[in-house]
Amino acid sequence: MSIEIKDVRYVVNDTCLLDKITFDINPGEITTILGPNGAGKSTLIKLISGDMKPSSGEILYDKILLNKLTLENKSHRRSVLSQSQNINFDFTVRDIVEMGWINDLNNIFEKILNEVSKECSIEDIIERKFMHLSGGEQKRVHLARTLLHIKSIENIYENKYILLDEPLANLDIFYEFKLIKIIRKLAKNGLGILMILHDINLAYKFSNKIALMLDGKVKYFGNPEKVINQKNLEKIYGLKMKIFTKPFFIKYY
Amino acid sequence: MGTNIVKVDKNFFRYLNNIQLKLILVFIAFTLICTLFGFFFGSFDISIKKFIYGNLSQLEKEILYQIRIPRVLLSAFVGAALGLAGACLQGLFRNPLADPGLIGVSAGAALGAVLSIVIFSNLLEHHFLGIYLLPISSVTGALVVILILYSFSKGFIYDGVTYMLLIGIAINALASVGIGILTFVSDDAQLRGLTFWMMGSFANSQWNLVIPSIFLILISIIWIIPQSRKIDIIQIGELEASRLGINVIKLKFIVIMSSAIMVGVSVSISGMIGFIGLVIPHLVRLIGGVNHNYLLIGSAFLGSSLLVLSDILSRITIQPAELPVGLVTSAIGAPFFLWLVLRIKKS
Repeated sequence: MSIEIKDVRYVVNDTCLLDKITFDINPGEITTILGPNGAGKSTLIKLISGDMKPSSGEILYDKILLNKLTLENKSHRRSVLSQSQNINFDFTVRDIVEMGWINDLNNIFEKILNEVSKECSIEDIIERKFMHLSGGEQKRVHLARTLLHIKSIENIYENKYILLDEPLANLDIFYEFKLIKIIRKLAKNGLGILMILHDINLAYKFSNKIALMLDGKVKYFGNPEKVINQKNLEKIYGLKMKIFTKPFFIKYY
Repeated sequence: MGTNIVKVDKNFFRYLNNIQLKLILVFIAFTLICTLFGFFFGSFDISIKKFIYGNLSQLEKEILYQIRIPRVLLSAFVGAALGLAGACLQGLFRNPLADPGLIGVSAGAALGAVLSIVIFSNLLEHHFLGIYLLPISSVTGALVVILILYSFSKGFIYDGVTYMLLIGIAINALASVGIGILTFVSDDAQLRGLTFWMMGSFANSQWNLVIPSIFLILISIIWIIPQSRKIDIIQIGELEASRLGINVIKLKFIVIMSSAIMVGVSVSISGMIGFIGLVIPHLVRLIGGVNHNYLLIGSAFLGSSLLVLSDILSRITIQPAELPVGLVTSAIGAPFFLWLVLRIKKS
């Protein structure tokens, strides 16, 4: 049981944005997409989350065609963090996080709210106005909302997934490291995770699978050890690279 | 989506904090007091004492039941409709400056009304259904404008706000051209009717128009209030809301339709009453918070009470004549709006 992406192609106005995308997202694993700007990473997340339909090919959630799922049904199976939008009214951080709760306001609500607030280190800012936060703080609030969303529905479906579009953008190295460890913990608890990252070192260290994308295609897919090598990275990013193995570190110039 | 609707209803009051619940009760009480005040005060005061003891004169009864009560009830419901439509549209467009007036919805409704006054004036007077032609054409006008706005601002997600207001200006200008042409070709009787629309007034409140208007406004209110929580969630973005299982297209349809009906009905029966839709939601937010479960109900009641008060003011300031109520609301609303703009600029 997993999310299966089968030969997905996405065309807008005769421009092929995504082509021949095939891979699986397994529960308990972190799958990371790496690639330069404009490779089609965010578009792919939108297709997998079911916001848009692929032009051809199919996406299955635990053997069920994504197209057959209702909005509500999709919301029970996956939560999504996207590059966030402005909020024009004076909502508090708590208000924004609570919007992720898609279940009844039952007994476990407060417990899980506290749990995700702690994980994303927003307990201290939870009563503040969202509008006045810095970019990194806003990111953490949205991440907390995404986590609350997936935790609000319990045990309806066997597998649940989180799709994260640059979860670490705008974060300082402290929170970057803290949050990626939380993401790893979620995966260990059985969630299937797909995320877009720009930090190759972090991706190498924390992912189970890596997809290297370029020009709308997944050029390389597999274990980090298999995919991350000098030849592949130089081809994807068009930069000269050098990989040090002990400790693992990539240098580019 | 069925279970989702039930879910929102079940938790409706849990999304209101204690202060907000109390504030809503205060708004309701204030509305009732204003309404009672409106029944008995005006250019011709009716004694409450006499009413309670049941010894009103024939003239007083006539004034109370045929003139005062329908007028005050109408102004109460129009105030609720404008306040609520303003709050809903600001929520949907995710823009605190949206207002049925600024974005051209009222102008569209007025153009519809004026069209029916000038072109169908024969029908209006001689057909027994004629009195309903004007409201229908006014609602249609409001609806057309909202649909134009929506289809334009949807394409420009990031600049949607600016585009929407600019399009609103263009629509307002176009509608004034239409109204201007129609004014030019109208005869004297039609002209008098037109002027009434431009300024806004409750002077012509008759039961046979007031009842269907109240009915339509009430239906719209009942339709929109259960959507409050969804309008909250749409603030984090339409895409994000749909990922949380909300049918955003349906929500937009409900908000747009109900706002168009409320604004269209209000404009058709009472003309252009500015600033209620813009200012009331801001006032309600300032008092008690931004969540729509509180905001929508609060805006309805505060809009209602303040428009009833404005109408009382319009009746008693230059007795025995009366000021158009649209002038009163604009005179109060415009300075408040200015203050608001300065406040936003500061923060």
